[in-house]
Amino acid sequence: MNDTAPVLEVENLVTTFHTGEGPVNAVRGVSFSLRAGETMALVGESGSGKSVTALSLLNMVRRPGRVEEGRVLFHGVDLLGMSENELRSIRGKSISVVFQDPTGSLNPLMKVRDQLVETILAHRPIGRAAAEEEAIELMVQVGIPDPHARLADYPLAFSGGMSQRVMIAIALANNPEVIIADEPTTALDVTIQAQILELLVTLNKERGTSVILITHNLGIVARVCDRIAVMYAGKIVEEGETSVVFSSPKHPYTRDLLGATPRLDHPRDRELVAIKGRPPTLRTPIQGCSYAARDPLAFDRCFVQSPELLRDGEGHAHACFLTEHGESLPPRPESILLPLTQAQHSQTPLLEVTNLVKEYPAGGRTLFGKYRKSLHAVDGVSFRINIGETVGLVGESGCGKSTIAKLILGIEEPTAGSITYEGVETGHLGARARRDFNKNVQLIFQNPMSSLNPRMTVGAAVAEPLRVRGASPADVQQRVAELLEMVGMDPSVGERYPHEFSGGQRQRIVIARALAVDPRLIVCDEAVAALDVSLQAQVINLIRELQMKLGLSYLFIGHDIATVRHVASRIMVMYLGEVVESGPSEEITARPLHPYTASLLSAVPEPDPEVEASRERIILTGEVPTPLNPPSACRFHTRCPIGPLFREDRSVCATEKPELRTVGDGREVACHFPGELLVGPSEADLAEKRLAAGSELGPVRRVQRAS
Amino acid sequence: MTAQGAIPTLAIRSRGRGRGLFRGLRSVESVIGLIIVAVIFALGLLAPIIAPYSPYAQGSGSFLPPSPDHWFGTDEFGRDLFSRVLYGIRQDVIVGAVAVPIGAILGMLLGLASTLAWWLDTVIQRGFDVSLAFTSLVMGVTVAAIIGPGLPAVLITVAFVNIPLFGRLTRNALRSQQARDYVTAGRVVGVPPIRLLLRHVLPNSIDALVVQAALSLSLAVFIEGAMSFVGIGVKLPEPSLGSLLRTSINFLAQAPTYAIPPMLVVTALVLAFNLVGDGLNKGLLKR
Repeated sequence: MNDTAPVLEVENLVTTFHTGEGPVNAVRGVSFSLRAGETMALVGESGSGKSVTALSLLNMVRRPGRVEEGRVLFHGVDLLGMSENELRSIRGKSISVVFQDPTGSLNPLMKVRDQLVETILAHRPIGRAAAEEEAIELMVQVGIPDPHARLADYPLAFSGGMSQRVMIAIALANNPEVIIADEPTTALDVTIQAQILELLVTLNKERGTSVILITHNLGIVARVCDRIAVMYAGKIVEEGETSVVFSSPKHPYTRDLLGATPRLDHPRDRELVAIKGRPPTLRTPIQGCSYAARDPLAFDRCFVQSPELLRDGEGHAHACFLTEHGESLPPRPESILLPLTQAQHSQTPLLEVTNLVKEYPAGGRTLFGKYRKSLHAVDGVSFRINIGETVGLVGESGCGKSTIAKLILGIEEPTAGSITYEGVETGHLGARARRDFNKNVQLIFQNPMSSLNPRMTVGAAVAEPLRVRGASPADVQQRVAELLEMVGMDPSVGERYPHEFSGGQRQRIVIARALAVDPRLIVCDEAVAALDVSLQAQVINLIRELQMKLGLSYLFIGHDIATVRHVASRIMVMYLGEVVESGPSEEITARPLHPYTASLLSAVPEPDPEVEASRERIILTGEVPTPLNPPSACRFHTRCPIGPLFREDRSVCATEKPELRTVGDGREVACHFPGELLVGPSEADLAEKRLAAGSELGPVRRVQRAS
Repeated sequence: MTAQGAIPTLAIRSRGRGRGLFRGLRSVESVIGLIIVAVIFALGLLAPIIAPYSPYAQGSGSFLPPSPDHWFGTDEFGRDLFSRVLYGIRQDVIVGAVAVPIGAILGMLLGLASTLAWWLDTVIQRGFDVSLAFTSLVMGVTVAAIIGPGLPAVLITVAFVNIPLFGRLTRNALRSQQARDYVTAGRVVGVPPIRLLLRHVLPNSIDALVVQAALSLSLAVFIEGAMSFVGIGVKLPEPSLGSLLRTSINFLAQAPTYAIPPMLVVTALVLAFNLVGDGLNKGLLKR
């Protein structure tokens, strides 16, 4: 790479939170260095100490946390030794930070212009007029259309993606040398995430700003980062160039994380690596290697002695006794990687949905209390789920996928259309019939934290569905034990309360409760989205295992097409309340027909730097339009890279609605020009070649919104 | 797996709220508050035993200063002030024990009703708006004007003032609970609505109500004092903390120490209930 002197050198950083229940050692000795112009990733699961590390760099850890030891050398000067006043001149000027939640980081009562100008003037007394000039310049750089007008807006008027652009503009305001981006895209949809990542890469290339990117998503690392540091339990366990670390990981945690991430180019029947156990608690000192308890290859020494982070000749550092002398890391023992056979499902429909429509009243009310507008959350969706089949539903937020879950479960009533379960209409059931119906169809929620009653023991929660159906206490007890065992939990946990469990364990309990009524269809509404990668793999494997054992059918709803593909045999892609494409998951992901599916696939970063560097990326500009006022005809035509925006001869997309039509072997697509997008980029379509040429990350097809 | 009776015994009952409430009362402030409340109320309840004189017995001299015979001195008719304060506390015990629960129960029922239908909600909430618009003393004056001054007027006022407080709180707590995933989950696994309400919604809403109850007791003491002070509460010669205070103001020049004991007791009670409320708030609501 480049041999320039490091901008930032971190030496043995230790940060501890002194809580009422004793100290929590969040960061336990982290050292790394960042060179000029480099993009470095700090990767780890929740609780690994990556965010605390970032905050510690600028001594911004709040009480009861404190940086106990270590040095942070910025051009050779120790930041931790500086006074608060001196530090303030560094923060936001030389080093700036972008946080995860863009809407929460902007002051809602200040105009965007004022927030930008404030940042500029805080470090450079150049006068307000000049600062406002610069503000406009910054807005242009981060790609906000119509900067003059938008500067006068309050943050409320900005969507999540646009707010994050504003945050980046603020971070860039004083031309910093280092930007620390803490999970900058986690709160955003995939297509918006792709935009923001693209922006970070561009800024990095054009301005030479060094970036520390904190993330849990290995795909993002593969896409944008030169170097990666993997954190586990408050320490860096492996560090090196991204391509090297990804192709030959030398720490078992890195290897298992990679194995746990669902990938689009892996066969579906491969089971994900489920790392057993959970990360160690940071309250007590850790004896030996922090990962030893979770690695089947760990031997005596791992449990006694803590391995040092050793750097080999190629600059690849790893803290593991297995690879201490440069040995390559053996794969995780195959016993855990039992391949799942592809379950054959029958062709008998279990659930059929026809022309489902759900409207919500919205907008202001008239004098007589009627709502002025209606929001079409779901607009004419039809599909069926066969017995023993898993159907995936993919789409960005606001596309209506969760509404479909609610309609099927009967939590909401459809406005029009029918839902039939085994031929019986279930759209408008009475309370009693609904309860009987729900014996067959169950729901697993996104957030396992909130879907268990905090005041009920786990056993009581799992027992409740049985009890309300009048089972005898002895039966209930036995069945609860069976259910907990079935989801891989010890039956004795029944006496404990939900807050004593990790997210993954809680999700298992939720699954056990859903299974208590012997359902035949389970709707998983983003069931793994709130979990860390390793726990996500555990739950996905459990879901698939249960399907084989019990012959369950699933409707698996998700925003991440790679995860959904892994679980579902058939995928439906939704955009603004409509299904735009459906078909067998391998085919859809390999050869998408609808341009939206293609963009979605290309937006998902794959945890493989080689794939990321070579594949073409379609970056959709603009936001998902509001379902209150969806575009006419084809709803995707306002963002479509092959639509009327780029091809003047294609006004048909804006005037005529493409019907969902069958195109052989079970595939359906609603597009006038299906399958065209993947035919390779025609030169005329590359709207902005400058950016494509400037980036070393493979060809980019940029799509500009016509104003 | 097969049933072999080897399954460990499961505690599938949910342990009640005892643990939670206990945790709420474990903080320093709630312990101090509880002790003060317990001591004062015990003095009131045991007044017939402790009190050295009858609260109505007129003695030899009026406005006597505090002395071993009359710990707090005597009032304008020579009655023993210590005895009158002890008996006065009883009025507050009655108000707290009768009026606050009545108000709380009515309020909770109305709050519950609010969640049943939107039109019922509108009617009830607008009613609450109206009653909240009156300060407690104005409400007291109104009640006293209708049924005449006296302890019943105080009871009705306290109950009435508490209805919207508990009503609002119940409604909002239920609302937020009903939107929780675990309530939806319960619905989906077929838990009947009544059980849903009793097992899932209410237990999780009750913390806020417990805190409010502690604060309402302090409000009750305050209202009793205020109403008796302006002469529309407990009627003379019946002693109450408020009426004692009122009388003492008239004679502030002759007997400066007269006002101090009732004042201290009222302040201590209000403070103590607030401390309990704060403690509960910390323990129960802020997790």
